[in-house]
Order: sequence, then C-alpha cells, then structure tokens
Amino acid sequence: MEQELSIFTQGLLKSYGNVRALKGVDLEVRQGEIFGFLGPNGAGKTTTIRCFLDLIRPNGGKVKVLGLDPQKEPVAVRARVGYLPGELHFDQNMKVEGILRYFNQLRHAQADWEYVRQLANRLDLDLKMVIKNLSKGNKQKVGVIQALMHKPELLMLDEPTSGLDPLIQQEVLRIIRNARKDGATVFFSSHNLSEVQQIADRVGIIRSGKVVEIAETAMLINRSLRRVYVRFKQAVDGEILARVPGVKLLSQDDGMSLVLQVEGEMDALIKTLSNYPVSDFETEHPSLEEIFLAYYEK
Amino acid sequence: MITEFTYSLRRYLWQILGWGITFSLVALYLMSLYKPLVEQQAQMLSLLKAYGENFMAFFGGGSDFLSPGGYLDFGFFSYMSVVAGIFAVIFGAGLLVGDEEKGTLDLIMAHPISRTSLFWGRLLAYVVALMGILLLTWVGFALGIPLAGWDINPFVLLLPHLTMLALLLLIGALALFLSFVIPSRTLAVSLSAGLLVASYFVTSLARINNQLKTLNDFSPMKYFQGGSALDGINWQYFLGLLGFTAFFILLAWLLFQRRDIRVGGEGGWTLPKFSWDMMWDWRKWGKKETIAQKTKDD
Repeated sequence: MEQELSIFTQGLLKSYGNVRALKGVDLEVRQGEIFGFLGPNGAGKTTTIRCFLDLIRPNGGKVKVLGLDPQKEPVAVRARVGYLPGELHFDQNMKVEGILRYFNQLRHAQADWEYVRQLANRLDLDLKMVIKNLSKGNKQKVGVIQALMHKPELLMLDEPTSGLDPLIQQEVLRIIRNARKDGATVFFSSHNLSEVQQIADRVGIIRSGKVVEIAETAMLINRSLRRVYVRFKQAVDGEILARVPGVKLLSQDDGMSLVLQVEGEMDALIKTLSNYPVSDFETEHPSLEEIFLAYYEK
Repeated sequence: MITEFTYSLRRYLWQILGWGITFSLVALYLMSLYKPLVEQQAQMLSLLKAYGENFMAFFGGGSDFLSPGGYLDFGFFSYMSVVAGIFAVIFGAGLLVGDEEKGTLDLIMAHPISRTSLFWGRLLAYVVALMGILLLTWVGFALGIPLAGWDINPFVLLLPHLTMLALLLLIGALALFLSFVIPSRTLAVSLSAGLLVASYFVTSLARINNQLKTLNDFSPMKYFQGGSALDGINWQYFLGLLGFTAFFILLAWLLFQRRDIRVGGEGGWTLPKFSWDMMWDWRKWGKKETIAQKTKDD
C-alpha cells in the first residue's frame, strides 16, 4: 500500500525546543494526484514539506516519499522530487540561466534545456537577467522553473503562485496540470483557496500541527456547509426552520425571504419546507475558503 | 561534490584576486624597501631601539630584522597573519551558515546532493581560495627578490606561506565549527576573530613577558613560524596546526550531518539594539526572534 503512495506519513512529530510544530501528522498522497495542503500561518505546512526532503529531521513518526525514507536516502528522494520553497532566495549575483544551470548540474544534467526555454517563454522570463534585478514575481518564476525543469515524479510546491500576476498564475496552474498529465504527483500548499479549488483532486487541512481533514475537493465542498435562499408566498417564522437539525438562520428580511445555512444532508430541511408555500428555492455551495474558515472556527 | 566545488570557487574568485593581488603588491613594495633599509642600517637600528622591545614584540621581535626571515616577519607575516586571518574567519564561518542565513541553502539542499558532498565541496573550494591568495602573495615576494638583492631560491619563500596556510586553515576551521555551535554567524565571526587577535597579543607579549609562556603554549600563533620557516619548517608545529584543523573540521562535519537547515536565519541571535529602557529591563536582551515566532510565518 505504502508503495502505491507518493507520500506517506504516520504520526510525524517535529519540535523546536519547547514548541511542537508537528503533533502527529498523518498523510497519504496518491500517485498521480494533485494534493492541496491547506492551513494558516504556523500550522506546520512548511515544516511538513521540509521533513519530506530531509532539510529538517522529525522527532518521531514515519515518513516515506516515493517509497523511500528521506532520512536514509535523501539524495535518492531529492533526485525524483522538484521543490519550490515558500521563501525563495537565490545567489543574487548570478544570472537566471547561470543559477538554473547550476541547479541542473546538481541534478547531473537531468534537465532538457529546450524544455527550460519553453517554460521560460511560457512564464515570460528572460534567462539573461541577473537575479538581483528581478522582481519578486520574476524570482518566483525562476523557482517554478527549477522545480519543474527535470520533469520530476513528485512536485512539492510551497505557495507556487505567490507574487505572480493573475495571468501568470493561471499559466503556472496550467503547467502544474500538464505535469500531472505527464504522470507527476503534485503536493502543494497555498493560501489561495480558489486556486486549490481549481486544480486539487484532494485537499488536506492542517491545524496546529495536526491534519484535521483529508477529502476530495469536490466532496468536501458538497458535503459541507451550503447556503440556502428561500422565498415564500406568505410570511413564515424562520425560527421554525432554524429548529431543523443542521440548519442555522442567517437572515430573515420580512418573513417572506430567508437565508439559511445547512450543514450536512438537505433532506430534513426540504421535508420541513414542504409544509410551506415556497415560491423560490436556491442553494449555493460554499467556496473552499468558507469551508476552510469553518474548520478554523471550530 | 565537483559541482559544489566549482560553484563555490567561482564565488571566491574576486576575493582571491582582491586579497591576493593586494598582498602581492604589499610584498613587492616591502621587498623594494629592503635595500634602502640595509643602506641605512645604523639609523634603522637606533630607530628600532628607540621604539623599545614592547613595540617590536608585535613585529616578530625585530632583533634580526635585516635577515631575510626576520625582515619577512617584521614587514609582513607578523601582522598580515591577523589580516588574512580575518578573511579566513569570515569565509570559514560563512562556508555553509552564510547561505543558510541568506536562505539560499534550503533550495540548494533540496537538490540531489548529500550533506557530505556539499560540505567537502565547499571546504575544498575554501582551501583552494586560501592557497590562491597565498600563492599570489608569494608571487609578489618572488618577483621582489631581485629588488631586495637576496640570494635565495624563490621556492624557499613558499615555506613561510605554507606555515601561514596552516594557521589560516586552523582559524577558518575553528570559525566553521563555531558557526554550527553558535546560532549567529556574526557572533561566530566575532568570537573567532577575537581569539585570533588574543592569540596574536599573547604570542607577541610572551616574547617579553615570561609569565605568559604557559598561556602561549595554547596560542595558535606560537606555532606559526612565518619568516623563520626560511630556515626550515618545524614539522611538529606545522602538523600540530593541521591536526587541530582536522579536529575542528571533523566536528563541524558531524554537526552539519545532524543539523536542521534553517530558513532565512530563523532562531538566530542578533545583538540587542541599545535603548535606555533596556538598561532597566535585562530580560529584553538575547534572542530577537525565537523559532516559535518564526514558525508562525511558515
């Protein structure tokens, strides 16, 4: 089973002195999927990713990346992974091409340089520029290219679209989708929930060093909160509807129209509404952002 | 390892040229002054006598300053060992922690390079950089032989440089080791440079103060021969310096194997900014940003 997973962690622990950054992270990322890793600042997203690459050493638990133990075989793991860190820093005095060639040499010239040029063109990046003269967004493009240029089996991207303009963000998401189409697994963290919603097959939510939810993105959106707009032909007491399990009354203008929030199944609400003269009924799926916030309000 | 070696050496290139050519010009200038000094031997000796032995102790003693070895000590090796030592300290402490504090090490280490290869590749480049600087210095002295009118094989002049290389390697290795122990490169540099200067003072003053003889046994400068190496290298001293160098390098390597790579200097120490309020609240002294605070930003 572990062999079929690109990433597997069980009870992953990491502490910095008295601070427990990871309190037993359990994750399973399947081969060939795009997995969104969500959480607010300080939840442990970056710490988790850095454990995968043996940049930091966990205090306990089990980690397997592409079937390998990163602590025992860090070089073998890194050879098959493309990593984009959340905080990106390069040697300031080098040219973009120079730094990419250096990274490529570290990878024993695995990259096809024509593909590097293609990526640079798609992201509108001039390879002749010196790093110190680049804007934050352009540095991010260099980071994206170095992570992708050797066509890795597993991409670990920490905030891949951070600092990029909307057009380039969309291009990066297209490139990520293409990478998946070519067989790569993508594990990425993001604050931009709409982009996670756009491309992630599954999402994991981490809170205070523990994974609190893992689900398919669509299922998470479907099964969670829904907003329901109801218009009646005559005034109805909203409090009656608010007594239905899982239903919360959000607003009631004149008794003729109500806004409700429903958690879970709709069945009980629909059966209750059948007792009243309904003229209009509309439901709205929440955005991933609303679900995310709901997790953090719990 | 070769990739990291060439990359690091390229980064040292301007340092090698800058320090090496400067030292070389100083050497050439010094050699050009030798003949005029010999011609005014009587005045020089009375002038040095007027300075007193306390002063001359800091320039190799000065008793035989007109012999080639004494002159090299007096004019160059006595104090240039400290100046070059500062280079050794700064670059020794920054060998890996410098990039760690800049945040660039994180991405480099996400590539398929082992910690061992990274460590030894960079260390080798550092040793070659020191050798390059000393080689350029030697060129200055060798070109100056006709100006000084010495009857000496230019290659014999390499011997004092060889002893200086051993001293610089020891100082650099100590700085490298301290950079892994102390969570601030600046502090590691300050401490190593402080030890270097203290060693210089102890060895210099031990020439005129017998009470310092025991302390001087622990001073690396005592085992640096400088100009006196023209009469033959003291292999016990030379190998002793290299032995301690190897010891500190080995410790540093072991520490690097187990180290959590920091991002952008997280958990580092900085000297507190002075304010009058601090005078009354010593608890504000010390760590500027804890790892706990830093991980909140991940």
